[in-house]
Amino acid sequence: MVLKPGVVTLKYPFEPHPAPETFRGAPHWDHHKCVGCGACSNHCSSRCILVRDMCQELRVMLYDGSRCTYCGRCADVCPEKAITISTGFEYATGDKNDITERVELFMLTCQRCGRCYDMEHTNAIDRLDLRGYRYDNLEARALIRKTSDQFDQKLFDETDKFARPTKIGE
Amino acid sequence: MKAAENISKKLKDRFGASVVKTESPYDSRLFVEIKKEAVKEISNELIALGARYLVGVGYDSIKRDGNLGMVHTFSFDRDDLFVCIKMAAPADSPVFDSITPDIPNAGWSEREYMDLLGMKFTGHPKPKRLILADDWPEGIYPLRKEVPHNLMPPAAEDVAYQLDEAPEGTTTVPIGPFHTCLHEPAHFAVYVDGETIKGCDYRGFMTHRGIEKLCTTEVSYNEVPFIAERICGICGSVHATSYSQAVELAAGLKISRRAEFIRTIMLEIERLHSHLLWLGVAGHLIGFDTVFMQAWRIRERIMWLAERITGNRKTYGMIVIGGVRRDLTPENIQELLDVLKKVEEEMLVVQKAIIGDTAIHKRTRGVGCITKEEAVKWSLVGPVARARGVDIDTRRDHPYAAYDEMKFDVPVFDSCDVWATVLVRIVETFEAIKIIRQAVDKMPAGPVMTEFDEAVKPLVHSISAVEAPRGEVVHYVITGEDNRADRWRVRAPTYPNLQGVPMMLLNDQFADFPIILGSIDPCFSCTDRVEVVDVRSGRVSVVGRNELEELSRKKNTGVN
Repeated sequence: MVLKPGVVTLKYPFEPHPAPETFRGAPHWDHHKCVGCGACSNHCSSRCILVRDMCQELRVMLYDGSRCTYCGRCADVCPEKAITISTGFEYATGDKNDITERVELFMLTCQRCGRCYDMEHTNAIDRLDLRGYRYDNLEARALIRKTSDQFDQKLFDETDKFARPTKIGE
Repeated sequence: MKAAENISKKLKDRFGASVVKTESPYDSRLFVEIKKEAVKEISNELIALGARYLVGVGYDSIKRDGNLGMVHTFSFDRDDLFVCIKMAAPADSPVFDSITPDIPNAGWSEREYMDLLGMKFTGHPKPKRLILADDWPEGIYPLRKEVPHNLMPPAAEDVAYQLDEAPEGTTTVPIGPFHTCLHEPAHFAVYVDGETIKGCDYRGFMTHRGIEKLCTTEVSYNEVPFIAERICGICGSVHATSYSQAVELAAGLKISRRAEFIRTIMLEIERLHSHLLWLGVAGHLIGFDTVFMQAWRIRERIMWLAERITGNRKTYGMIVIGGVRRDLTPENIQELLDVLKKVEEEMLVVQKAIIGDTAIHKRTRGVGCITKEEAVKWSLVGPVARARGVDIDTRRDHPYAAYDEMKFDVPVFDSCDVWATVLVRIVETFEAIKIIRQAVDKMPAGPVMTEFDEAVKPLVHSISAVEAPRGEVVHYVITGEDNRADRWRVRAPTYPNLQGVPMMLLNDQFADFPIILGSIDPCFSCTDRVEVVDVRSGRVSVVGRNELEELSRKKNTGVN
């Protein structure tokens, strides 16, 4: 039972041990392809893809790898195939920014109304907001259910000081 | 007559006005709404008719009708039928009759809702805190809808769990919260007389992660499978499948046959790796490390295979509502068959070594004995029950995925000890290989995903069970608005089995404690999954230390 297989221990990490092609590692965004639709953020079960509109034209997508479970759902749902799943797995790091990816997208404004989704409350982007998909404070990365179209200093301050409730209804 | 109609007629005839409404959305599901006064008689009647208690599900519907609801679920294994009896009580006096005196396995379910929903159960033999941390303040019930999922109330002071009183003439040996024979935190106070165990009290639930609460307040239907998968590190697919099936049943969604076959294959791959893992751990617990090394060496092949098929060694991330995410390619299938062949060959060698080893016989034979009657009474599940002669297996009794087409044996042994559990597990590995080969042969072509449009009718109750490697997993889903479940209840196999452990330990040697506990393959994380709002394990371990100090002080005074 023991002698036949012999030594099976791999020499890793002294010899590289690449993961198979189909391995689900960290996602990468191709900023040329990304249209900023937020589908990845919508389907991320660990809520680590954050969307924030810095102003009318600028949308920031921030991928926070420290919470990512590498399920690869974001790549599945991306309509533009802008997300690729890498085969890397050596992500241990002392600096959070090593595993953070940030995409700044220049968004076009609707020629007719300026901001279409501002006018109605049934479209997908608004529903995102209602379900708490967006983050208002990219630094604190606390889950906040509010968002603004324009950069709002008051809301920013509010979210900056966000603390977990300690009493019911707080 | 169909089993569901039969049971519903029997209940109506016998209890008349106490049965308010019966509903059977599928042939294999029966939901009975009853008046809460009759719960004792009706549940006893169901047990008398041959049912097995599964789990209690409490839920909050204060906003809708001012009530707290409680559902007791039962399984008729021979008739492929789940019976759920629903009742409600007003939120200002949520008092129910306890069914625990007759059905001991309901004990934890009821204690759970005393903690989480503030229900009261009259006649409960042990109405102690079960789930919440000792320093959780009184009067805050985390599962109620008014409590936010991230609430962190100030801790109550000067509180400690009162252990059961030790039987006369015994010494208390604390095991845990952290102990070499436990892989996860839990506290056992074992009462010993010399070397013989005379009793045991359990204080666990130290790894609450608030998963159920989180999934009913924050995330949407199709994100839950990924979180469900993380309830347990070993049987992830099982939880994801069970949850997905429950939602699919509630939504009336029929997934493609190919997806069902792939689910079956994934579940069996998981069973293979889990049985090998357990075999290794069991060997390790009784000091036979060669088994541990070799079983895990064989297991490694399966892990690599899973990595290539799904993209990950564990937490496959394959199963979502509506089907599976990746298809099996012909290369995957060829590789799968090659690995199976290799594993089967090597398993035969290990099997021979285990069966011929006298040390293993001596350590496991006649250890952890309970009779078949006791196992039925405590509704034990999985290999633990099958080793006690209880012939249940969800794959056969309530076929799901593609198991209705599979031919396999359910190994049942009647020596009622840990040795029988080892045998069940070994035989099941070969059965799993058999099932995967059949599934590969019979797998039809077709799509693997069916569109799930997320427009599920609210307040539909649904139950689904899946046979995990270590027993039966039950998921109960009440659908809600806002694209997420209103209530999701997970019952892992360790939940009923752990309740039977004190009985298995009784009159055994203290040195056999690790293997007896190990024989149920305890997974405290699955068991503890419940809705507590924060990970307070650090806090709990402090209390544990105080407890230990107290205990040691007591002991000292005893000696002086």
